[in-house]
Amino acid sequence: MNTNTLFIGQVFLTFPTLLSTNLFAMDYATKNNPSEGTVISTPNQSAGRGQIGSKWESEADKNISLSIILYPKFLKPIEQFDLIKITGLAVRDFIAQFIPEKVTIKWPNDIYVGNKKIAGILIQSSLSSSKIKHAIIGIGINVNQATFLSDAPNPTSIFLETGQENNLEILNRNLCWHVERWYLQLKAGHQMAIHEHYLTHFYKIREDAHFLNVATQEVFKGAIIGIEKTGQLRVFTSSGIQVFDIKGIKFLHENSKV
Amino acid sequence: MDFNQIQELIKLISETGLSEFHLEDKEFKLTIRSKEPETITETKIVSVPASMPSYPAPQYAPSAPAPAPAAVAPTPAAPAAGKKEDNNNYIEITSPIVGTFYRSPSPDKPVYVNVGDVVQKDSVVCIVEAMKLFNEIESEVSGKIVKVLVDDATPVEFGQALYLVDPS
Repeated sequence: MNTNTLFIGQVFLTFPTLLSTNLFAMDYATKNNPSEGTVISTPNQSAGRGQIGSKWESEADKNISLSIILYPKFLKPIEQFDLIKITGLAVRDFIAQFIPEKVTIKWPNDIYVGNKKIAGILIQSSLSSSKIKHAIIGIGINVNQATFLSDAPNPTSIFLETGQENNLEILNRNLCWHVERWYLQLKAGHQMAIHEHYLTHFYKIREDAHFLNVATQEVFKGAIIGIEKTGQLRVFTSSGIQVFDIKGIKFLHENSKV
Repeated sequence: MDFNQIQELIKLISETGLSEFHLEDKEFKLTIRSKEPETITETKIVSVPASMPSYPAPQYAPSAPAPAPAAVAPTPAAPAAGKKEDNNNYIEITSPIVGTFYRSPSPDKPVYVNVGDVVQKDSVVCIVEAMKLFNEIESEVSGKIVKVLVDDATPVEFGQALYLVDPS
């Protein structure tokens, strides 16, 4: 398992416990001007963040929670969805080492095994004068956790899928290697290849599925055919191709009730 | 005691509804009085946004001797009155991206800035979320927030004005 990186994780700060690696990293990046690729990590994140207001459940000493500080000054603020893409691809590749099949990126920033969530990504950036000052790439991956208490939809872990426990320290380093690999692809200007890969591993792409149109509260059948440059979902429906923002559409799983 | 501390103090006092407050130490004396007709001058700025909480207009009038003129300087009512008619002196903080505007880091946290707060260059004033990517927006100017132009958790366009700042 490759752990040899150029810059991500060269400074690797581990804390026994943190409320949220992202919050800490955001603050740390503002105040300490850390070198690019500095990682903030904890085996015990007590108030991990999903999107605004929602929490990420993680049992102590079982899972990966880390945040990477990057300076993607080569990106315009409007191009930041590329960071979501490369992080999704890196985390997917990382998990696919253990679970070769069924690992997909659920739009926009969750990683699924089949219909179960195994990892989440939260990216926070700081914009000043319309430029990216720094971006914090927060990653949470369920590794050795065997039971989940929360009502989060269908969680799973590498352990639950494979029956194997893994060494978190090595996995942390290997995850950094995967993120660095994709980040360098982006830095080298390979947006098209990244886009293609992202869609290749896209959850439910070109499959008939049921969705909820949040604005109209209508359930409709359609198939995801791609995404816009800024990340909006393109869905082929009986009335043509429709484009949805995050809050505009919900996936309806076979077992979910409307 | 610096300008920011005095401002904090005024905010605190106006929130408690006290009508008068004295502070004295070796260096200087400070008197803050509120709800007096002649102090209303200050509210001219404040009255721009209809929706903002209307706390009593405070005035800080140092009693002599006042060896801290720097702290007193920002009070004069005259320039404030001038600005009442002229919003052009205000600078807008705009959104650099399309997204959803949030005034606080999360629903249970206090807002980044309120009307009356002084922001510096690099102060975080809000979050604009786009495709689950959370962007902390830093102010590009220093000054006082005079108006919040967008409701919390509502969509904003590229370049849309979010706050009005009095740079003086």
